[in-house]
Amino acid sequence: MKILAVCGFGVGSSLILKMTITKALRELGLDAEVVNTDITDAKSYRADAIFTSPQFVSDLTGSVKAPLYPINKYSDKDEVKQQLKTLFNQN
Amino acid sequence: MVEAIPRSRIQIVEAVDDYQAAITLAAKPLLDEGFIEAPYIQAMLDALETHGPYIVLADHFALPHARPSEAVKQTGLSLLLVREAVDVKTNPVHVFIVLAAKDDQAHIKVLGGLAEFLMEPQNIQDIIAASTRDDVHTLLKERWTLT
Repeated sequence: MKILAVCGFGVGSSLILKMTITKALRELGLDAEVVNTDITDAKSYRADAIFTSPQFVSDLTGSVKAPLYPINKYSDKDEVKQQLKTLFNQN
Repeated sequence: MVEAIPRSRIQIVEAVDDYQAAITLAAKPLLDEGFIEAPYIQAMLDALETHGPYIVLADHFALPHARPSEAVKQTGLSLLLVREAVDVKTNPVHVFIVLAAKDDQAHIKVLGGLAEFLMEPQNIQDIIAASTRDDVHTLLKERWTLT
């Protein structure tokens, strides 16, 4: 399982999101590889799931194969946990 | 880096006109200390218009930043606390931390500490409740772990 955390530049917000996902995974007892990148690279990156903002979900819809999971606030561990539960229940 | 945000780069104001003014003011210490040049501020404002308000990473908190560029001379952070909530595209924000990253590596350690700090919502509430720059500075030093 590879999860992609995406933001506009791949340097700040997506790194924070990656850390939130990593911590949430650990607390849920789940295992996955988490990588962060920018919106451009996200289109060519192979991942099993993409976590990003609602606006980027709209931008990426149709141009990526991986399922998209919107996150409103990248530091909100509870919101991330909910999406992780949805993701892992489908796999 | 001995501390994430030195006292000289912490500001507290009552209110600002809008989020553009907040981000510009929040970045001023980095501009004055030569960490960034003016185009970086415009790049942060443009990014918000282009990409939307995902920089609002937690309730009442935003991390304005843009891509590493020649307009960034040194990696650094600055903080602005606004007493009256600022509307960032329908998100009320009190705390702005500007991130200036010179490259895609130097800031990773400091952001690790910030990620942990932001995951505990009480930390932002305590910054909002702080009465002085010294209080904010002390709080950050105590709770923002630098690895």
